[in-house]
Amino acid sequence: MNDNVIKVENLVKYFDGRCVLDGINFTVPRGCIYGLLGRNGAGKTTIIRILLGLEPVTRGRTFLLDTESPNLSPKVRGRIGCVAEGHNLIQNYKVERLIKLCKDLSLQWNDESFGHLIETFRLPMDRKVRDLSMGMRAQLNLSLAMAIEPELLILDDPTLGLDTVARRQFLELAIEVIQKQDRTILFCSHILSDVERIADRIGILTAGKLVVDCPMEQLKERIKKLRVIFSESVPANLYLTEIINQQIQGREMTITVANWNKQKQAILETFKPSSCTEIPMSLEDIFIECTKPNPQPVEVS
Amino acid sequence: MLTLIKREIHDHPLFFIGSVILSTVLIGLSIATLKGHYWIELTAFDSPAGTIVSTILVFVFFGMGAVQMDTDRTRKISAFISILSVSRNRILLAKIIAGLLAILIALVPLAVTVTILLRIHIPPIPVFHVMVLEIFSGTFLITLACYFIGLQAGWNSGRLPPVIIGLILTCILLTLIIIKGFMPEIMIILTLFTVASLIRTWHLFMSTPL
Amino acid sequence: MKLSTNYIVRVLVTGFVVLTLLSIPLFWIRFLCNEILSVWMPREYKYVDIEPTGLLPDNLENDPNIERHSRVYARLDEWEYPHLGIIEYFESTSPGESRSCLILSSSEKDWAYFDNKSGHFVFRYVETKIMPDSDKLEREVQYYIGPEGISEIPDKTLGRFIEPIVDSSEFKTSLWKSGRIILYDKKLRSFFAINFEDRNITKSRQLLKDDPRRPIDIGILNKNDDILDLYWMLPKVKTSENNQVRTLYSRERFGSIIKEGDPDYRPDKYLLVLDESGRIDLLDKETLEFAGSAGRLPTPATLFPADKNATPDDLLAYRILPMALKEDRKYRGLFAAAVNREGTALALSVFDANGVLIRSDHTGERDYRGRRGTLSSRAVLFSFPGAPAITIGRFLLENLHPPILSLASYFTADSFEAGSGHRALLLLPNSFIAMKGRDARDDNIVVDNIVVRFLYALLLMSPSIVLAILLAWRVGKDAAFIGFSRKTRRWWLLGTIAFGLVGYITYRLTRPKITLVTCANCGKPRRPDTGICHRCGSKWDVPELVPPTWRVIDG
Repeated sequence: MNDNVIKVENLVKYFDGRCVLDGINFTVPRGCIYGLLGRNGAGKTTIIRILLGLEPVTRGRTFLLDTESPNLSPKVRGRIGCVAEGHNLIQNYKVERLIKLCKDLSLQWNDESFGHLIETFRLPMDRKVRDLSMGMRAQLNLSLAMAIEPELLILDDPTLGLDTVARRQFLELAIEVIQKQDRTILFCSHILSDVERIADRIGILTAGKLVVDCPMEQLKERIKKLRVIFSESVPANLYLTEIINQQIQGREMTITVANWNKQKQAILETFKPSSCTEIPMSLEDIFIECTKPNPQPVEVS
Repeated sequence: MLTLIKREIHDHPLFFIGSVILSTVLIGLSIATLKGHYWIELTAFDSPAGTIVSTILVFVFFGMGAVQMDTDRTRKISAFISILSVSRNRILLAKIIAGLLAILIALVPLAVTVTILLRIHIPPIPVFHVMVLEIFSGTFLITLACYFIGLQAGWNSGRLPPVIIGLILTCILLTLIIIKGFMPEIMIILTLFTVASLIRTWHLFMSTPL
Repeated sequence: MKLSTNYIVRVLVTGFVVLTLLSIPLFWIRFLCNEILSVWMPREYKYVDIEPTGLLPDNLENDPNIERHSRVYARLDEWEYPHLGIIEYFESTSPGESRSCLILSSSEKDWAYFDNKSGHFVFRYVETKIMPDSDKLEREVQYYIGPEGISEIPDKTLGRFIEPIVDSSEFKTSLWKSGRIILYDKKLRSFFAINFEDRNITKSRQLLKDDPRRPIDIGILNKNDDILDLYWMLPKVKTSENNQVRTLYSRERFGSIIKEGDPDYRPDKYLLVLDESGRIDLLDKETLEFAGSAGRLPTPATLFPADKNATPDDLLAYRILPMALKEDRKYRGLFAAAVNREGTALALSVFDANGVLIRSDHTGERDYRGRRGTLSSRAVLFSFPGAPAITIGRFLLENLHPPILSLASYFTADSFEAGSGHRALLLLPNSFIAMKGRDARDDNIVVDNIVVRFLYALLLMSPSIVLAILLAWRVGKDAAFIGFSRKTRRWWLLGTIAFGLVGYITYRLTRPKITLVTCANCGKPRRPDTGICHRCGSKWDVPELVPPTWRVIDG
């Protein structure tokens, strides 16, 4: 069995002549919680839909559980749980009927854990799905995805519409899934604090490319934001590569650099700055830096 | 598979109830006709009756196909179900089996009743039984073909032109019975056409993003 | 771009659907044109008569008081044009028709059919016997009849008929129960006479294998008789009473009108037999032997003259009327009328008792003196108001048909029975090109003639060929535009040339639905689903997306 549960090779996707994904490559190993991040319209949902076989690729290939996405068999699908963006459930069904349908179509179903979830979320059985609130739908969706005891859980903005308490409960459930051996999660969310809490690997999409794909701890080590003060004016060219962002205010320069290493440190030190302080960044800060549209140095008056 | 078929029936009960009602009405009419006339007068009824029954069924089941697919697209049912432990092939197959079932519910009781009535009222002359077989086979095939056209038309949900085009094509196809009658050659043409429509429907369903 | 099997299947399937669905409206428009033509045709194109008939004895025909001689006329009736399949199907199940095994259904209790399984005729009827005390005794009987005998129970020893044709003229009255019914079996190649009164069956000598005779019908020789009327009338004679002209019926001088279907008419001696070559023979009813030729089916004119005799399959309708006078019941000859395949020409012939043609005429234009001009098969296309428009319309419609099928229609022109040609969808046996295909001359073994005929046919197809080439050019251009491989383009070109409009529509429906993007290298549209530009071969560059130059990738 392959260690990579998800594999994306040179994925290119065009919608009506507009390129959304331009050569995406990444893998998600077994047991990993992979946080896929990107701004609105970056292509996160597109990648998930392609992975699930709901959308055809323009070029490239994608694999889930060693099976190419367009050829996912019912057996393989039975090992995948999915909470889609917008919680696409059959709106005119009653909750009870929807549950029965999912149960009858699943390969395995954990009645006990599902019942526990339904009780926890206090979901009304006799109400139609369209009459549930967004949060309740999210809970129902998640419960259905968890009940089949999936090997792979794909969550596309699953906490959209959940209150703080429900969000926390959800995260704990996700962790509970992960604690079971060999379970993997692909997690997309705009609430980066949640991602930061649970993800152990991060991918960031921007301008059709996956610009970041590394473990969480490494990310914070490799992307550094520094405040550098020079004795005189800021040098015109720092001879530093992989500058993510640069802001200059008088003699002060705030610079965000990717793949920070000793070499780059040495290069900076050759300019003899008066001071060089690292500004700690949360995942949210890193994300904002990485997805800023204008990489040119900005003079701030 | 059974779950998917049950789901289709549960979601579109009107068509199945309608098939039962239609079948009952047609059986009643057949009984009244056969009882009210001498058997030698019945040759005047076979083709007009067959054509009228075919026309009704064709439009009803074109509508069923269109409604099935339109409901699916609008409510994103296949998009949801395909995430579960089900392949797209099975989803489509369940729809088709449900449609087939509805058509058979409309036709088979009528065919059986007419056959029994003919055996009771008419001397054992093979031509009538052959005619019943030919008319019902032709009706079944053309209804199935128009059902597949309905599935294709309904798949382009939210847009009226494909449905109108589908309806026009159904009307055109129906006139095939007027052109060729229920002769054996129409069975060949309709069988090939039905298979072709099925393949096109299959391809449309499998290649469209959900 | 290479083709996948999926794509090929899709193209074939779509092509068939398009072909079927396009053929149907084209059929209806052609049908409408034919119906309009049929209604608007002048009377002289649908009516022909011969006067005097030439079959009456001289003393009757040349009576000094005669006002009008005996006359026979045939008329094409446009209101009953039952060539649609549904009507044909309905009619074919009636007794005596081609697909019906039912040969008689005169009442609830009198019926008869041929059972294909057992090879027996099953007759059921009410038998009436007059008892010694003059009482009538009626009983329902059922007989099974095979070539070897008649029995009240089905029995293998009765033998098997295989492909029988029955003289149904006897069924017009109930006198058949005490008479004889004659039938012919095509496979057994023998005539049989069923005698119900004596409960026996008489068999003729089997026709030898090398005997060219191939009977296809006996007794009443008709085809589509509801679109063709054929009548004959006795002479009109001036009487001595008040000098008025009227038809005189007298037992001494004239017989009453005898025509087909007349209950008084009994063909005492002979039965008419129609051969597949169109020849009509006389069969002696007693000996069941051929008694000479009675004539043949007339050959109506066609658009492209065909110097060959018409066969039953070549004719849309025909009607044969034997003639005898009541006073002696002697066979005197027959009248035969026939309509050409297209329904645009009628021919009428009179044959004497020896089968010699003595009179004939065709429909066509007439001048003020009643002399015939252009034959109706040609005149109908251009000679009356509205005809040119319909003809040109029809011609253009036929040229919308796939060229390959038009060509096939040319080569298979003779293979179709005339009536089925009016229901044809894919091959067009009644098209101009098929008519040219049937243009056969006596010197048709000369190669030049065949070549010239074929070139003429291509000329008739020229609008279709031009359209196909134009459409193929468009298809080829688009296929190159979207990056199909050379092989694929070639197939599409050939397919569109062969199938014309159908090919073009199929291409449009199966064309990959891809939005092309501009190649950053050559500036031309390229497919996003191919790895390199199919025009300049350059790899991908997406200038509209400006990703950062840095990456933080692990491994």
